[in-house]
Amino acid sequence: MLRRVRALTVKEFIHLKNDWWLPAFMLFGGVLELLLVGWATSRPITNLPMMVMDLDHSPASRELIDKLNNSETFEVGSYVRDFDEIEHALIHGSISAGIVIPSGFGRNLVHQDQNTRVIAYINGAESIPARVSVSTLTGLIREWNGEIFLERFQVSEEVQADITPRLRIWFNQELSEAFYTVPAELGLMLEFTVLLFAALAFSREKELGTLEQLLVMPYSSIEIIIGKAIPVVIIGFVDFCLMLTMTHYVFDVPIRGSLLMLLTIAFGYLLVELGKGMVISVISKTQHQAFLLVLLVGMGDFMFTGYAAPVEAMPEVVQFFAKFIPAQHWLFILRGIMLKGSGLDVLWPSLAALAAIGAVILFFSLRFVRRSLE
Amino acid sequence: MSIRHLMAVIRKEISHIIRDRYTLFLVLFSPTLLLVLMAYALSVDLKNIPIAVLDHDRSQLSGQFVGSITAGDDLDLFTFAEDLDEVEYLLESGDIKAAVIIAPDFSTKIRAGEGVPLQIIIDGTEPESGGFAVDQIGLRAEEFVTEKVFGGGQLGVQAQTIELVVLPWFNPSLKSRNDLIPGLLSIVLGLPAMLVALTISHEREHGTLEQLLATPVSRWEILLGKMTPYLIVGMANVVMIPILAIVWFGVPFNGSFGQFFILSAIFMFSILGMGLVVGVFMRTQSAALALSFLLIFFPGFFLTGIFFPIVSMPEIMRMESLAMPGTHYGIITRGVFLTGVGIEVLWPYVIMLFGLGVMFSFVAGLFFKKKLD
Repeated sequence: MLRRVRALTVKEFIHLKNDWWLPAFMLFGGVLELLLVGWATSRPITNLPMMVMDLDHSPASRELIDKLNNSETFEVGSYVRDFDEIEHALIHGSISAGIVIPSGFGRNLVHQDQNTRVIAYINGAESIPARVSVSTLTGLIREWNGEIFLERFQVSEEVQADITPRLRIWFNQELSEAFYTVPAELGLMLEFTVLLFAALAFSREKELGTLEQLLVMPYSSIEIIIGKAIPVVIIGFVDFCLMLTMTHYVFDVPIRGSLLMLLTIAFGYLLVELGKGMVISVISKTQHQAFLLVLLVGMGDFMFTGYAAPVEAMPEVVQFFAKFIPAQHWLFILRGIMLKGSGLDVLWPSLAALAAIGAVILFFSLRFVRRSLE
Repeated sequence: MSIRHLMAVIRKEISHIIRDRYTLFLVLFSPTLLLVLMAYALSVDLKNIPIAVLDHDRSQLSGQFVGSITAGDDLDLFTFAEDLDEVEYLLESGDIKAAVIIAPDFSTKIRAGEGVPLQIIIDGTEPESGGFAVDQIGLRAEEFVTEKVFGGGQLGVQAQTIELVVLPWFNPSLKSRNDLIPGLLSIVLGLPAMLVALTISHEREHGTLEQLLATPVSRWEILLGKMTPYLIVGMANVVMIPILAIVWFGVPFNGSFGQFFILSAIFMFSILGMGLVVGVFMRTQSAALALSFLLIFFPGFFLTGIFFPIVSMPEIMRMESLAMPGTHYGIITRGVFLTGVGIEVLWPYVIMLFGLGVMFSFVAGLFFKKKLD
C-alpha cells in the first residue's frame, strides 16, 4: 500500500510542477498577501481630511485648531469662510469632517455664562472614518472640558490624577493593531489556501476526464484520497510555517505560548479543512463550481470567526451556530497561544470542541469522498 | 467585428453556464449570497461587551456605580470576580473583554471628594471591544464623579463647558451596514470577473482554444463574447442587490437608480477587463484562480478603502489602490446610495473606471494574440 500511495503522491507532485502557479500561490501568495495586507491595515486610522470654519478668530479657537491638528487622526486641510464650501466638500466626499467654531466661542469660554458650542459635520457615507472622527472629537473635547472643570473648582493635582480611572492593558500594552489583525489574517489564510487546494483535487481530474483513468487503476479509494491529500498537507503546512515566521519577525507579533502546541494544532486544523475541501471537490463537476463553493463556504466561516466583528455582538442564534465552526475555535486558540501565552488549562474547552467537530467532519467527509469515488 | 460572430461566441458561453442548474445557480446568485453573508458578518455595531467587576469595596456606592456602568446595552456584566486570579483567567479565556477593579476605599474617597480609585483592565488583543469598554466606563465614571464628588446638578450646570454638537450627514445613525453594503458591492461584483478569467484559461487547458481560433471569429470577438454573459450576470446582481439592501437591510438609496445602473455597467466593464488580463496570461484554471484571488479578491477587501481609509495608507499603497476599479466604484456606490449624488459629482471616478477598463481590455487583446503565436 505504501508503495502505491507513494506512486500517487509522486504523480500529484508532477502535476504541481507542470502547473507551478498553483503551488507557488499556495506557498508564497499567502506570505505576500499577508505582508501586503498586514502592512496596509495594521496601523491606526490617520490623516482624515478636515475643513475648519473659524468664525471666532480668538486664542481659544486657535487652541482648538491646534488640538485638532495635533491629534494625528485629522489633517486640517483648509480653512473656509463660507458654510457652502463645507457642504460642497461633504457632498463630494473630499473631507471626513467639517468643524464650525461659532463667533463668541472664546468669549463664552471665559465668561462662563453661555453655552460654548462647537459643531462637527461628519461625512456619514463612510462609517468607519466617521466613527473614528466622532470618537476622537468627543475625546478631545472631553479632555479639554475636564481641564476647564478642574481649573474652576481649584482641585488639587492628586485628586485630579485620581479622578480618571487608571487603565491597564494586558497582552498588548502598546495596543498594536498588528497584534489583532495579523494573527487572524494568518489563520484565515491557512483556511483559504487549504480549502482551495483540496477543492481542486478531484474537480480538476473530473473536468479533464482523468478521474475515470485513475479509478480503473488498481488503487483503492483510500489510497487515492491519501495520495491527493499528502501534497496539500505538506504545502499547506510549509505555507503556515512561512507565514508564522513572517508574522513574528516582520510584524513583531510574539509567540508567547508553546510553539510546539501551536504547530500541532495547526496541523490538526489543516486536516479538518482538508476534509471539507475534499467534499467540495467531489460534489463539484468543474473547477468553476468548486471555486464558487470554496468562496461561499470560506466566507461563511469567516463571518463567525470574530475577525471583523465581535461574535458576542451578534444575535444569539448566530452565536450558537458559531460554536460549530472549526475556524472560530482555531482563531481563538491561535490568538490565545500567540498573544496571551495561554496553555491547555485555559484553552482546553476550545481545543476539545475543535477536536470533536474536526473528528466528525473528517469522519463523514472521508466516508462521503470514498463513497462518491466508488 | 461582426455581430453574428459575436453572438455566436456569446451563445456558446451562455450554454456553458446554463448547461446545468447547479452552475447557473452558483454563477448567478453567488455575488448576492456572498454579499448577504458579508453584510451579516462585517457590519455588527459594538454592543453587549462582556465585562467583569472585582469589587473590593462592596458598599452601597460601589454597587450603584456598577449598576450605572451596566445599565445600558453597551456593556454586559459577565460576573463579579472573587480575586485578581479570576479576572486573569476570564480575560485569558476570552469570556470578558475588560474588567473594572474597585478599590477598598472607593466610597470613602468619593464621599471625601478625593477622587475615584478605579482601575480598568482591558484585553489588548481585541482593541475594538477593549477601547469601547474603556470609553464607556470612563464616561460613566466621569458622570458618577460629577454627581457624587461635586455635589450633583447645581454645580454642574454652573460650570459651563464646551458642548460638541455632532451632525453626521448622509447616515445620521452612523450604522455601519448602511455604508458597508454599498461598499461590498465592488467586492462581490468581482466574482464574475474571476469567472471570466477561469473560462479563458479553461479553453486553453482543454485545448479548445485552437478550435475556436480556427473559426473565422477574431480575437476581439472572442474576448468580448466571453465578457458579455458575465456582464449580464453582473448586471442582474446590480439589480438584485440594491433591492435586497433596501428591503431587507433597510439601507437608504438616495440617488437615481438609472444612473446607478449605467455607472455599475462601466465598473463591470473595467473589472471584467481585469479578469480578461488574468485569464489571458494564465495557462490553467487553477493558476488563473490563484492569480485572480491575489489580484482581484483580496486587494478588493483591503486596498479599496472600504474597511481602511485610503488617506491613512502608506504612499505606495495609495497609488496601487488607484489602479483598483473597486476603489472608484466604492466611492460611486456610497455616493449614490447615501449622499444621493449622481454623475455631476462622480464623473472623475467614472472616467477613471472607463480608462482602466479600456486599458485592461487592450492589454488582454494584445497579449491574447501574442500568447497564441
